Amino acid sequence: MSNKRHMGLRASAHISNTLIYIVLVVMSVVWLIPFICIVLQSFRVESTWQVGYVIPQKWGWDNYVALWNSDFKRWYLNTFITALATAVGQTVFVLCMSYTLSRFRFKMRQGLMRFMLVLGMFPNMLAMIVLYRVLKDLGLTQANAVPGLILVYIASSGMGYYVSKGFFDTIPKSLDEAARVDGATRAQVLWKIILPLAKPIVIYTILTAFMAPWGDFVLARYISFGTSAGMNVAVGMYSWLQQDMIGQRYTMFCAGGVVVAIPVTILFMCLQKYYVEGVTGGAVKG
Amino acid sequence: MKTYNDLEYLRLSKGQKFLYRLVSFFAAIPVALKNGCLGIGRFFKNLAAAIGRELADIVLTFKNGDWKTRLSFLIMGFGSMARGQVLRGLLFLLFEAVFIFYMIMGGGHWLSLLSSLGRIGPHDEYSAVLDAYTKVYGDNSFKILLYGVLTIFFIIALVYTWRLNIKQNKIAEDILRSGKKLRSGKEDLKSMVDDQFHKTLLALPLTGIILFTVMPIIFMVLVAFTNYDGSHDGYNNALFTWVGLKNFRTMLTWSGSGVNYSATFGEILTWTLIWAFFATFTNYFLGMFVAMMINKKGIYLKKLWRTVLVLTIAIPQFISLLYVSKMFAKNGIVNGLLLDLGWITQAIDFMGSQANNALLPRVMVILINIWVGIPYLMLITTGILMNIPADLYESSRIDGANAWQQYTKITLPYMLFITGPYLLTSFTNNINNFNVIYLLTGGAPTNAAASGAAGSVGYTDLLITWLFKITMGAESQYYMASVIGILVFLVVAIISLVVYNVLPSIKNEEDFQ
Amino acid sequence: MASVKLTKVKKVYDNNVVAVHDFDLDIKDKEFIVFVGPSGCGKSTTLRMIAGLEDISDGTVEIDGEVVNDLQPKDRNIAMVFQNYALYPHMTVFDNIAFSLRLQKMPEDQIYEKVTAAAEVLGITDYLLRKPRALSGGQRQRVAIGRAMVRNSKVFLMDEPLSNLDAKLRNQMRAEIILLRQKLNTTFIYVTHDQTEAMTLGDRIVIMKDGYIQQVGTPAEVFEMPKNLFVAEFIGAPKMNVMRTQLKREGEGYVVTPFGVKLAVDGGKSQELAAKHAPTGEVLLGVRPEHITLAREGQPGAIPCTVEVNEMMGSELHLHVVTEDGTRLIVRVPTIDLEPDQRHGLQRDSRLYITFRGKVMHFFDPESQENLLN
Repeated sequence: MSNKRHMGLRASAHISNTLIYIVLVVMSVVWLIPFICIVLQSFRVESTWQVGYVIPQKWGWDNYVALWNSDFKRWYLNTFITALATAVGQTVFVLCMSYTLSRFRFKMRQGLMRFMLVLGMFPNMLAMIVLYRVLKDLGLTQANAVPGLILVYIASSGMGYYVSKGFFDTIPKSLDEAARVDGATRAQVLWKIILPLAKPIVIYTILTAFMAPWGDFVLARYISFGTSAGMNVAVGMYSWLQQDMIGQRYTMFCAGGVVVAIPVTILFMCLQKYYVEGVTGGAVKG
Repeated sequence: MKTYNDLEYLRLSKGQKFLYRLVSFFAAIPVALKNGCLGIGRFFKNLAAAIGRELADIVLTFKNGDWKTRLSFLIMGFGSMARGQVLRGLLFLLFEAVFIFYMIMGGGHWLSLLSSLGRIGPHDEYSAVLDAYTKVYGDNSFKILLYGVLTIFFIIALVYTWRLNIKQNKIAEDILRSGKKLRSGKEDLKSMVDDQFHKTLLALPLTGIILFTVMPIIFMVLVAFTNYDGSHDGYNNALFTWVGLKNFRTMLTWSGSGVNYSATFGEILTWTLIWAFFATFTNYFLGMFVAMMINKKGIYLKKLWRTVLVLTIAIPQFISLLYVSKMFAKNGIVNGLLLDLGWITQAIDFMGSQANNALLPRVMVILINIWVGIPYLMLITTGILMNIPADLYESSRIDGANAWQQYTKITLPYMLFITGPYLLTSFTNNINNFNVIYLLTGGAPTNAAASGAAGSVGYTDLLITWLFKITMGAESQYYMASVIGILVFLVVAIISLVVYNVLPSIKNEEDFQ
Repeated sequence: MASVKLTKVKKVYDNNVVAVHDFDLDIKDKEFIVFVGPSGCGKSTTLRMIAGLEDISDGTVEIDGEVVNDLQPKDRNIAMVFQNYALYPHMTVFDNIAFSLRLQKMPEDQIYEKVTAAAEVLGITDYLLRKPRALSGGQRQRVAIGRAMVRNSKVFLMDEPLSNLDAKLRNQMRAEIILLRQKLNTTFIYVTHDQTEAMTLGDRIVIMKDGYIQQVGTPAEVFEMPKNLFVAEFIGAPKMNVMRTQLKREGEGYVVTPFGVKLAVDGGKSQELAAKHAPTGEVLLGVRPEHITLAREGQPGAIPCTVEVNEMMGSELHLHVVTEDGTRLIVRVPTIDLEPDQRHGLQRDSRLYITFRGKVMHFFDPESQENLLN
């Protein structure tokens, strides 16, 4: 009796596991297909427009060569510089904000946090119209869009303090206190004790700050305003898929997508551990 | 509504319990709203009281202060300098000088024009040299509004600094009277990295937020009360000016014929909320489901499955979304494949760029959003699932729960408790999820019924994409975009307010802490 | 190497909760002071105010005659050991101990000397290159002490340093702290909720409750002459038995009549009571469990009762007994004198007689709960 029951349990586990494997395999295929398609299409040379088949009939590097000869180089460099600068500036801002809100108890602290919460409820698209005009007055649009973009990305980034504040909150306060008793100033506490311990969240902040500009589309489009020299990859490549261009540029878009995705993906995969920690912590802390 | 105490509640049947909790939930909403409003009221009351206290203190400081203090009322920082705190005093004085300089150089001008937003617009003027009428530009409404707001900010900052300067004098007098020494400039500098370190840290980020978020938002909120659009750009073609609540009336009143904004707004808001609901919860539950499948004991290659999914996070969204939208295009790969297989005879218009069918594109964006969102949710829920104490499952097994019961009684309540705030932010983020909609469909298919409203509205448009389209369109009715922005803020704020106030009562029942 | 003086120190939190009320205390140079009390009594808050980790709402704290209210912790020349050790997880044991010295910019070879010397004393030389994560609780505690030791600070603060350790290790560390104190020869302020630690370590004990000082005194003073019922019950384990009874005058002396049995207050106590003009009538009578003895039936002053629980502690028995009117008392009986058949008579439900002498009685006012001999 007990033996039979045992067998039953194992058999049902077997069936359910098989089902799960089937689901997981199907999912993996669904999730990977677009990327496989992109890579395959980027090597298609017989035509440059959209076609109804996946495997190219003629393979070649033509699309990548065309990419090299287009404005794409400029866009890529623009995006890379923006991403690099944003990664540095945004990280500094976010860490300043979140460390302060986690560790100091000053009079306006609660009010400040509530204020930023309310501020975050406004659609930030609203601000773009003004920012565009202001940047235009400063001469930071169109061909000079890159410094303008960097400025906007960094300036308000303090509002995104939430995830890293949650992380700082998990570092025991008694460490700060011990260090202060040991003779450290508050700045030394941050520099010598907290930052070394906050490595995961620092890397997470750098990683997300670095990745965001690659995908930003709206603001970048506003600020570059049709000037190719000031575009980032997202804005530039978006134009390739519009009605008038898609016939000549579809396969180039695929090639560009591969070129953009490879470094970001490699970086992401290397630092995945930290990303997962940050994302999970952020959700738990709310 | 009847309320039960704990013991009475326990005696209710299952259905009654559910009903009771449901009713309590909705009954709590008005209370939550009321509390929110009361909170705002209290805030203003406290503010008024605080201002009263400050004024009284200022008067008292003047009355009791020595001549150094009194002179500081006019020359900021004088007291500090006279008492040897040169650094502080200089900073105060510098701020005052900069302020006066700014007001003379332009601030006063902008402020004086703020009420009219400019008097002389662009016009033709006879030029004797050329013997012809040439266009002459006058005031710039945009700049007047922008710098007017900036000037008001500057004035507020000055008042605050002036108050700080007076407080400094009072404190300094008190310290000197008690026979202690004042901090020197060197000590001030030192305290910036020690007991005043938080001010140092906050200085830059807060300046950034005020200049690049607060100011623009205030500006755009004000734009909702003007007629700023493409044909009144404030400089090149015509000035714009204040119009009061006219734009809100246009948006919200129901007019039977012609341009019917309120109907369009209602339609888009409904779809926005439906979208946000599905986008949030389909991702949440399916992501959790996937995480549980991968986490299940006896499943091998866990790392591989996770990596495949996580890979899609790494690739910038604009690539994957644009590409997927093209895959489902009429001449895209999916249609090509289905035609080749002979499953369909005519290409399906998935994204509905032409068809007038609203349902299919709407379902498609939700489905593709699932494809985008599951990896994130899988990551998030994996972490939390692994943190659920194993003894909860062990004790429930001893109590005789099956897998489904374990899920509904342990896993789900635990997850909802931990991720409640995350769900809220995720919902509000989806209300403003520009990227997915704009990159996938661009709002298509066109909603012919709403053609009267600005910014060609489509069936998959969210409020936020509508707002964007309005600003990009030929007419660029910025004031309408601004009205929509304010309404979006109100929707998000009300939802957040209600959920924040109602949530704790749900939480208590499922307290895992 | 310094005295500490607290004058009317007060702590009010932002939500207007008062954690510490007018705390006055003079701590002499090289004294070992223990703050003891239940959780939430304000003992840690007071310590943290001395350290500079909490703002002082009112009053002054002086270290060595200097008011330190406005000084940062780093400028107060104190050392502190935290409850959860607060070791820097990313530094080795050596770096942890050397941290404060490096901040003082001491030359590295001198740091080496000091750290190794401290490690020697604490017996952690073998672990100097390990990270705190790889240490046991007791070792971490030693590192935390070492970190505080090397600083040559004026005052040594310890905030419940032993409460995260298991019972055995706690006893061992307690002895080591006594040794440490002899070596360091500096002023100690030690916070604990454990009365045993307070009694064994302190030169003087400060007993606190709800932010108020209840009594300050040497261990012997607070044990023998508790100022009020709270102190009497808090000090000593198991806690003091308290019974409601009548205090009457009889001739020269006093008598009490707990459970209808008349017991005489002995001469010395009677004289003290008389000297204080102690009011007769209802009082709370306190007797420590170790001062109750077993009696024979018919012996004068024998109180009949029934055993409810019998806890064998090894060297002694803790008997939880119920008197005829339902009062529960605890009696400590040393096992060394007990014959086997006597032990049998102390099992659950057996009836027995107890008594106590007049010398060990404590009297408290039933209203104010103050000791009548104050």
